[in-house]
Amino acid sequence: MDIYAIQAVHGLVYGMLLFLVASGLTLVFGMMGVLNLAHAAFYMLGAYFAYTITIHLGNFWLGLILAPLIVGAIGIGIEHFSLRKVHKSGHVAELLLTFGLFYVIGELVRIFWGSNPLRIPVPGLLLGEIPFMGKTYPIYRIFIIGFSFVILIGMALLLLKTRIGIIIRAAVSDADMVEALGANVPRVFMAVFGGGAALAAVAGVIAAPFLSTYPGMGLDVLLDCFVVIVVGGFGSLLGAFITSLLLGELQSFGVLWIPRLALVFQFVLMAVVLIVRPTGLFGEKQ
Amino acid sequence: MTILRLENIYKDFSGLQVLSGVSMEVQEQECHAIIGPNGAGKSTLFNIITGLYKPNRGEVTFLNRDITHCSIHKIARMGLSRSFQITNIFPKMTVFENLRSAVVSRFNRRLNCTSFLHRDRKILEESDKIIALIGMMEVRDVPACEMSYGMQRQLELALTLARDPILVLLDEPTAGLNAEETRSIIPLIRKVMHGKTLVIVEHDMEVVFNLANRITVLNYGQVLASGTPDDIRESEEVKKAYLGRR
Amino acid sequence: MNRVAAIKVTGGTLTCLFLLLLPILLPEIQVHLATEILIFALFAVSFNLLLGYSGLLPFGHAACFGVGAYATALILKSVTGMPFLMTILISAVSGFAAALIIGFFCVRLSGGYFALISLAFQMFLYAVALKWRDVTGGDDGMSVTRPEFYLPGVGTLPLTNIHYLYYITLVIVALATVACYLFLKTPLGNAAICIRENATRASFLGYDVFLTRLIMFSFSGLLAGISGALFVVFQEFVATNVLDVHMSFTVLLMATIGGTGHFLGPVLGAAFFMVFQDWISSVTKHWLLFMGIVFVIVVLYAEGGLIELFKWERMRVLFVRNKEL
Repeated sequence: MDIYAIQAVHGLVYGMLLFLVASGLTLVFGMMGVLNLAHAAFYMLGAYFAYTITIHLGNFWLGLILAPLIVGAIGIGIEHFSLRKVHKSGHVAELLLTFGLFYVIGELVRIFWGSNPLRIPVPGLLLGEIPFMGKTYPIYRIFIIGFSFVILIGMALLLLKTRIGIIIRAAVSDADMVEALGANVPRVFMAVFGGGAALAAVAGVIAAPFLSTYPGMGLDVLLDCFVVIVVGGFGSLLGAFITSLLLGELQSFGVLWIPRLALVFQFVLMAVVLIVRPTGLFGEKQ
Repeated sequence: MTILRLENIYKDFSGLQVLSGVSMEVQEQECHAIIGPNGAGKSTLFNIITGLYKPNRGEVTFLNRDITHCSIHKIARMGLSRSFQITNIFPKMTVFENLRSAVVSRFNRRLNCTSFLHRDRKILEESDKIIALIGMMEVRDVPACEMSYGMQRQLELALTLARDPILVLLDEPTAGLNAEETRSIIPLIRKVMHGKTLVIVEHDMEVVFNLANRITVLNYGQVLASGTPDDIRESEEVKKAYLGRR
Repeated sequence: MNRVAAIKVTGGTLTCLFLLLLPILLPEIQVHLATEILIFALFAVSFNLLLGYSGLLPFGHAACFGVGAYATALILKSVTGMPFLMTILISAVSGFAAALIIGFFCVRLSGGYFALISLAFQMFLYAVALKWRDVTGGDDGMSVTRPEFYLPGVGTLPLTNIHYLYYITLVIVALATVACYLFLKTPLGNAAICIRENATRASFLGYDVFLTRLIMFSFSGLLAGISGALFVVFQEFVATNVLDVHMSFTVLLMATIGGTGHFLGPVLGAAFFMVFQDWISSVTKHWLLFMGIVFVIVVLYAEGGLIELFKWERMRVLFVRNKEL
């Protein structure tokens, strides 16, 4: 029994991380119609910046604060200087651009940090394990779940209770209408883009001691994100949340029960959803 | 004979009832105008007739065939053509290439992969014939996106005709045209629609009373009145709901 | 004949002459590279049938490439004495069949949805190839021996000789490319372009958007299957990399950098990519970064790709005398 519980918690850990990354991706797609492939690169950059900051400044928490800020700024820069340019050329051009940026960032990471995995040590405060279900479980992983949850609550409050949140949600539904009503939509786009990037970076930072950093981490998380937003629904945060957790559990138990088929299964699921209900389980009909 | 019949069409979008029990008949070679205030459901009606939407209830019959659930391209191939309120052409193609695409479809050569398109004399000649008919020979090789709005509207009209359809639906053909352009398009429409059945949605009353020999008035998704232009001009209900405000 | 056409014909003839004489003019290692360029040129052309001509961007185009590759590998491993062209033909048909099935589900969608569902199918095939070790060799792959090519009147030519392989590849790729070019000049090719320009309008003119796209997708899969088959023969090896994301991304880079607006754009892109990789990778191992930067620059500032440099307007600037300006 307890091995299932442990696996379930494993799944929860990755699921929450995945949600932090996927949420920005799905919001940007819902608002701007852009499937931003570079988004996974933000996750990767967060992890790598955190590594450098932790190793050179000796403080993980500083990395947790600074890395997202840096990556958020990079995100805003990308949106302002390139994405906007390409917007008028259509969706295909946008896809190509974000793809190119993903590639370039991936290669830059390889140049500056090398191709080998880098370990960030778990911060002293969170070392050790606590008793759980008759065994012990690493505190750090509990921290990941808890911290992600706090961010989730924060995001929910922002979107549901604040004025900017309402504008963002409205823009996901109908950006033209929101602009007609007077909101500065380009600035909202920029903010969501940068915010999503920072969020992905946060996920990267807290994932780093757990999953370690390696140049392929962007692609791996990107493929998972695709499954999340397709199945959960483009533009739907609730869908992204539920699907992220489901995917986390699927991978956790899949590794346990059907290691040969786990990878296959998630892409079959994605294909099935795209065929039967392209807008996803919770998405709106575009 | 009755070319088009709508029976009891109902259409709602997520609870918003757009059309309620619309019934209509269009006879051969009639010019039937549909008028009504904005939001009355005129475009929705067109979209249902041409297959873009399916009605929640009711039937659409074209040439005695039930087309209610047919796909868009099948309906088009049966001889039903439509124009769009917002110009819907192939922007980067020239006028000639635009019309040629429609002519290819008319001769059912869409999936032909055994001959070269530029060598097909019949298609070439037919396309040029339409360009001449609509009076656009001077801009034959101009990309559509480089033309003025008025000329694009004309191309939109030409594209609708290029299949030599039996029934033509024109969705606000004069939308966005100035008074002079509007006045000049009326005889063009009359000329090219010769021998065809026409259903036209219009806001411009001058165009309506100039072209139509039957008018149906739509209001809040229901048929308010239907009859000859004189009947409509005299109808008290129509005056109250619509014409009175102009 | 006017000046532009004269330049084009001269350029084309010189290129053909160069291609025919290449094994004599260049050292063996370059013949190797040239063969690989030809293979990827065909792959990129098949990709552009979807992106440039149908307006559909696939993220999983390696799927049909990989199907053709594995089909050839399996034939070469288990069947002796099958004529080389028959092997290629079977791979082409496999690619076509795979595309027909995948396309049936994919072409109902467009944009980002289409990109992702094609990726899903490709990843599925990748996972199958990875796990089905008994048949595909999984991660480790399988080695294959290059077969012999029987040319009536000449004899058997062992394709282990790179010169023979080069010429066979050249002929197959040339024929496939010409067939593709002619295909696009038919009403069907025009239909694909119309649907790309304005699918709604095309629909209302009687075009069956789904069927047209499916045919384009299937034909694209056929050509990708052929290039996959040639790739395996060339490499003498097949592994899951023929079905992975990197292969899909590589062909995407090639076609886009070369230029998706022109038929020969992808060919130029493939040549540029492979030559660049060959050249830069001897200087730095980060050649992919430069390729990525070129790609981003092309997308941002030079949408037409490298082929734009060859457009006759620019050639006119080079060849026309001052007095005409």
